[in-house]
Order: sequence, then C-alpha cells, then structure tokens
Amino acid sequence: MGLLEGRNLTKYFGALAAVNSVDFSVEKGEILGMIGPNGAGKSTLFNVIMGVYKPDRGEVVLKGKTVSGLKPHKICRMGIAKTSQIVQPFAQMSVLENVLVGGLYGRNLSFTNATREAEEILELVDLGGLKEMASGSITVPHRRRLELARAIATGADIILLDENMAGLNPTEIEEVLKLLRKIRNQGKTLIVVEHIMRVVMGISDRIIVLNYGEKIAEGTPSEVANDEKVIQAYLGEKVCFV
Amino acid sequence: MVVILITVGLLIVPFGGFSEYFIRLLAMIFLWIGKTGCWNILSGFTGYIDFGAVGYYGVGSYVTALLMSKGHAPFLLSILVSGLVSALIALPVGLPTLRLRGAYFGIATLAFAEGMKQIILEFDKTAGVNFFEGPHGITLPIGPKNEFFYYIGFGIMIIVIGIAYWIRRSKFGYALRAIHEAEHAAELSGVDTLRTKVKAYMISAFFLGLIGGVEAYWLTYITPHMVFDLLITIQMVVMSLLGGIGTVFGPVVGASFLTIVYELLHRDFPYTYTIIVGFIIVVVVLLMPKGIMGTLQTKRVIQKTRPVQ
Amino acid sequence: MLLFLQSLLNGILLGGIYASYSAGFSLIFGVMGVINLFHGEMVMLGAFLTYWVFTLFHIDPFLTIPLSIVSLFIFGYLVQRFVINRVVEEPPMISYILTFGIHLIIAYTALWVWTADFRTVTTSYSGFNANIGGMIVPYARLATFGLALFVVVGLYILLYKSEVGRAIQATAQDKEVARLMGVNINRIYAITFGVGAAITGIAGSLISTYFIVFPQMGLPYTIIAFCVVVLGGMGYIPGALWGGLILGVVQSLTATYLNAGLSGAFTFILLFIMLVVRPAGILGKGVVE
Repeated sequence: MGLLEGRNLTKYFGALAAVNSVDFSVEKGEILGMIGPNGAGKSTLFNVIMGVYKPDRGEVVLKGKTVSGLKPHKICRMGIAKTSQIVQPFAQMSVLENVLVGGLYGRNLSFTNATREAEEILELVDLGGLKEMASGSITVPHRRRLELARAIATGADIILLDENMAGLNPTEIEEVLKLLRKIRNQGKTLIVVEHIMRVVMGISDRIIVLNYGEKIAEGTPSEVANDEKVIQAYLGEKVCFV
Repeated sequence: MVVILITVGLLIVPFGGFSEYFIRLLAMIFLWIGKTGCWNILSGFTGYIDFGAVGYYGVGSYVTALLMSKGHAPFLLSILVSGLVSALIALPVGLPTLRLRGAYFGIATLAFAEGMKQIILEFDKTAGVNFFEGPHGITLPIGPKNEFFYYIGFGIMIIVIGIAYWIRRSKFGYALRAIHEAEHAAELSGVDTLRTKVKAYMISAFFLGLIGGVEAYWLTYITPHMVFDLLITIQMVVMSLLGGIGTVFGPVVGASFLTIVYELLHRDFPYTYTIIVGFIIVVVVLLMPKGIMGTLQTKRVIQKTRPVQ
Repeated sequence: MLLFLQSLLNGILLGGIYASYSAGFSLIFGVMGVINLFHGEMVMLGAFLTYWVFTLFHIDPFLTIPLSIVSLFIFGYLVQRFVINRVVEEPPMISYILTFGIHLIIAYTALWVWTADFRTVTTSYSGFNANIGGMIVPYARLATFGLALFVVVGLYILLYKSEVGRAIQATAQDKEVARLMGVNINRIYAITFGVGAAITGIAGSLISTYFIVFPQMGLPYTIIAFCVVVLGGMGYIPGALWGGLILGVVQSLTATYLNAGLSGAFTFILLFIMLVVRPAGILGKGVVE
C-alpha cells in the first residue's frame, strides 16, 4: 500500500467529469510526475487530493486513512501540501513570515521553533538573503520558490507541485530540479505536474498520464513516452519537447 | 515612555478640574476607540468588513437594560452577560456568513443587524411579552456621574487596544493576516480559516455587546432606533478607515479625530457631520486606502526593505 | 379567499415595482462588478424630481418620466466616469464601501436641503380604483406596474437588440476580449451606469405617486434591491423579475396575515438565508463573486 493512494476518484462539474475513475499510488520518497493535455484534470485531481473538492466517487487514502472530504487545512496538517499554479504569497508579509505561517499552522510549532525552521528552509531554497523583503515585491521565480518553502514548512510528507516551474527559463528550471532532488533526498514525496516534458521526464521516477479526466497511461518515463495512447493525446497539442 | 506619561495624565484628568463637558468628551472618545478597536479585530485584520456590528452593540444594550431595570442586577455583571450573549449569538451568525466572500459577507451582516432591530421592534407583539415603555424603549436606573464612565471607558479602551496589540503579534494574528492576504493559501498551509474568522468575530461581538451595555447605562434610556442605528456601524467603519484599517493604533487616531469632529458639528449642523463622513469615506477609499497609520507604516516598511542586491 | 387573492395581487403589483428598480442594480453589478449602495438614492432622486416638477409646475408625474430618464442618466454617467471608474478593477468590497460613502453624501445632503418632511404626490386620479372581481386595484398602481414591466422589457431589448447593448454584454462577459474587439470599456461602464441610474430614476418617479417621498427613503430601497437581486441571481436581469415578484408576494402576505412590521423583518431574514444557503439565486444563475 502506498503512502498516498487515490481510488476510483471522480469529480463532476455539472455534467462533466473533470476527473473520472482515477486510481493512483505514490510510495514514500518517490517523485511521481503527472502529465496530460490542458484541461485533462490534473489541477482538479490535486484539488481533490487536497480537500478543496470533495470527490463525487472514490477516496483519497493517506497513510492508510481516508482523507477525502476533509478540509484542506486538516489534510495539510496530516501531511500533504500543495503549491498553486497562480502563486499566492501573503504579499504584505515578509518572505520569512510567509514560511513562518506554514510552520506555525502546518506543524503547530512554537514561534521560536517555527522561526528557526523557516530560516533553515529559506537557506535550503536559497531565499535566505530575501527573508525581510515583502513577499509581494520579489520576482516571480522567487515567489515560486517561496510557495515551495511554505509548503515544506508545513511539515508535509507529500508535496503537490502544480506547475511550479511555469515561466522559468532553463537555468532557473535546473536550479529548481536540483532543489526538488534535495528535498526528495530528505525523505519527502513529490507529485509534479508540469507542461515541460523535459522537466517531468527528467525528474520523475514514474509518470501517470491523464486525458479528459481519465488515466490513460502509467509507467516509467520511457514507457510513457513510447505509449501510443499518450502520443495520440498530445497530437495537435503544443508540447515542449526541449 | 510617552505612552506611560499620557496614560498617567489621562488617569488624573477627572481630578484636574476640567469641565464636565471635557470629561464627557474624553469618555466618548475612549468608548469609540473601544468600539472601533474591537470591530477592527475582525474587519481590519481579516478584511471581512462587518456591516452588522451594531447588531451586537444593540443586543448588549438591551440585555444590560433588561438585567438592570427588571432584574436589578449589578452593572458589572450585566455588561459581562451582555458581552457573553453577544458572543454566543455571533457563533451561529458567523459560522454561515463567514464562508461568504467579502462583499456578500457585508450584505449578510447588514441584513443581520437590520433584522435584529426589526425583531426587537416586533418582540412585544409577537412574543406577547411587554418589557417596553413607549416606542419599545427601556429606562435604566440612574447611573453615576460622568467620571464613572470616564474610567470604565478608559479601562475598556486599554483592554481592547491591548488585545488588538497582543493579537497582532501572536500566532492568531498571523492567521488573521494570512486570511486577509491569501485565504486559500492560508487554508492550504494549515490555517483553519473558518474557525479563525469565527473566533475573531466572537471576540469582536463580545466587546461590542459589553460596550453596548455600558452606553445603555450611560444613556439611561434606549430605543431600538437608537441602539441599532446603522450609523453606529458606519462610524466604526470610517474611524477605522481613516485611522488605518488593520492597524492596531489606527482606531485610536480615527476615533479620536472623528469624535471631536462629531462633537463640534452635530449640534448645530446635524447632517453636515454625516455628509463629511461620506466624503471621508470616498476620499480615503480613492486616495488613501491604508488610512493614516497604514500609510505611515508602509513608508517605514519600504525604507526597511530596500532590495539588497 | 378574497383576502388572499387581494393580498396576492397587491404583492404582485408591488413585486413588479421592486423588479423595475432592482434591474438597474443587477445590471451594474453584472457588467462591472460594482455593488452600488447608493442605488436607493437614485430612486429617491427620481422621486424628488417628479415631486418638485409636479408641485412647482403642475406637470403630471407620468409626464416627468422623460426628465427623470435624462437627468438620472447624466448623473449616473458622470458619477461612474469620475468616481466609480477608479475602483472597478478592485474587489467588490471596495466599491461597497465607496458607494456607501456616496450614499451618505447624497442622502444627508438631500436631508439638509429638503428637510425630513414627508411629501406625497397626489394627483386628481390618485384615489381612483379599478374593481376586478371584488378586488381593489388603484389605477395609479396598475399604471405603475405596467410601466415597470415596460422598463424591464425595454432593458432586455436594449441589451439584446442594440449595438450598445451587445457591447455591454460583451464587456460583462469578457472585458479583455471586448477591448480587443474595439469596445471602449470605460465608455461602456459609464453608459451602463447611466442606464442603470435612468431606469432606477423612472422607478423612483413612478413610486412617488403612491409611496411617501422623503430624503432617507433610499436605504430601504437599496436593501430591497439587494434582496430581489440575490433571490433572482446577481447580474441576471430576468431574475430581477422573479426576485421582485417573490419578495413582493412574501411581503404582502406577511403584512396581511402576520403583521406589517414583521414583513420588514422577513425581508432581512430572507436575504440572510438566501446569501447563506443559495447565493446564486433561486434559479442558480447569479454571479457569486
């Protein structure tokens, strides 16, 4: 049994099944990639896992416990954190304070401990020099790393990255990939959604592919890259095979 | 240091031979700081602007009025009960409404306060009980002199501002601010947003009810139109806006300034005050949304966080 | 039974009026996301305009309507252009507070200038009623109801059959795309607000024929408009009709069978419940922030 499992997850918006009978499983320390054309349901699946949506069918099981339908903050405290596609820093608060919130509430630490943790995490993501800056005034790549830092601060075992690297240039991407490997080596589990194939293929241990809300393929990066169904799904789609 | 001097100074004012009028004015300022300050705890810190605050104030007034006039209860007990009743009502009102987005929350709370007023107005006819004299008014026992209310008001002001100050620096304060900045992100980071908001709402309601009770005793006679007056909520909104919504000392600045303006104007030019309030709202929203304290604070932050490159 | 039917009829007539002045409120929110808390003041201004023209120049209230349309349109256009336009991109709470400030300015200036005295517009035909199957229907109310429906239908036609209307709809649905299509967004906002103000002004003029006119009458109308529009769905114009009728009937029945004061409380309770349980309106077509 995996650390996190999704069983037969289905979520409807009106008559449309944005996510349809999706099963998946992630082991501890794994990096699972999730790809699929636009609108395939990747973000929706993340939101279902995170408790933002309650699944119409199926369940999300974390460490053996069913968590589907719980509120996001509870799921966060139980060990899953998510970064958002559109970055949402606590703009008027400093970079340090942003990460602090994660530690205070995600892990229920004391102020002293949470501050210490936050500073360590900022060093890890290489934002230490900006810790006093108002988070609304730092650059977008920095804000994305801040999102990640905040997610780490919550003490989550599993981090869902929803297109955390969108809009970054290749150098910046390399840095983030190095960071993700570091995080994984510290024992975290990651599920990564990205549109940049090179990134996903390069960093994932395994990949699942969604299309029209359904899982159409699963396997190692090379298995998936050669899968007929996957290639079909992407035909006509603008894909970054850089 | 300055703060201590001012505090001591204020404490001995009633012995300084100042006029009754001056003492009354200061007492009013203290109580407005108290009202605005506690309103600010929810509305300022989280950004969920409560337009129904007067509902709790009115409830508090009536509870104290009833307890003291019919129940012959002592003052301090009455106002504490007023606060508690208000806080308890805030729970079932807050739970559903604090899930709504900003503006809808504003409408819902407005509806709550106006609804409360109507309910009290209809209470005797519907419930068949008659507490009221005349236009649903209640007369309280005659209270002590203005000096009494001066010190009560002073105490409440210190407590409310103190609590606001403490909250801002506390873990709870971080949650409130996170909700204000990016509620969804806060929820994803482990903050129980609904619970946090309801807590702030209940604290706010408690003090509003308490102060409602105090002022009922001071006024000696209350009617629903007096204590459920929308303008009371509006004063809190404007005083916060002007002083700096979301700051700890904004309410102090805003309430002091506007209470004085009110005193100067309302006798001779009753409507002018409200018109000015309207203009202040427009000007602040368009030109100075952070208010006085907020703008000062931002200048300081900008100086502190010049990019280090 | 007759009592029930009379009450129901009164409610429907009332509801039509409610619908007519709530439509403007819904339009403004639907197109620019602004919650207009001085909406009731526009009703008040229309009513006062009719009152003064009637009292000073003895012109029949129904004939003052064109004047209302023009004056309120200009008023709405200018206020939007120079004040409201600065906050259309902000979250609705900002416009909520701003327009509340404007409400205070207008209502209390009116109070200062015109005093709190109640006024009425009493024409020669004010007291005359039609008798339909035993139910009493004042002619004035019937005419008002008819005109109110006319207004709602007229608004509908404007939005769907005219070029300006299409531009307004485009702006409401997708601002950026409308801009790319050559629509002058700022001008459309101002026009929309003007139209909203104008139809509200018409309603105000009509209302003056049988409701009391006084400077502070605005706020209750704003609250009613809120209730109507939340019931029918914020931003969904036809919903203003449903919402208005429902509210009118509920109020009328409550006043007849319970007591008049309670009908006021009911409005707020209804509004509160709708917001909490079904903010998108009864048909679910409203915009929820």
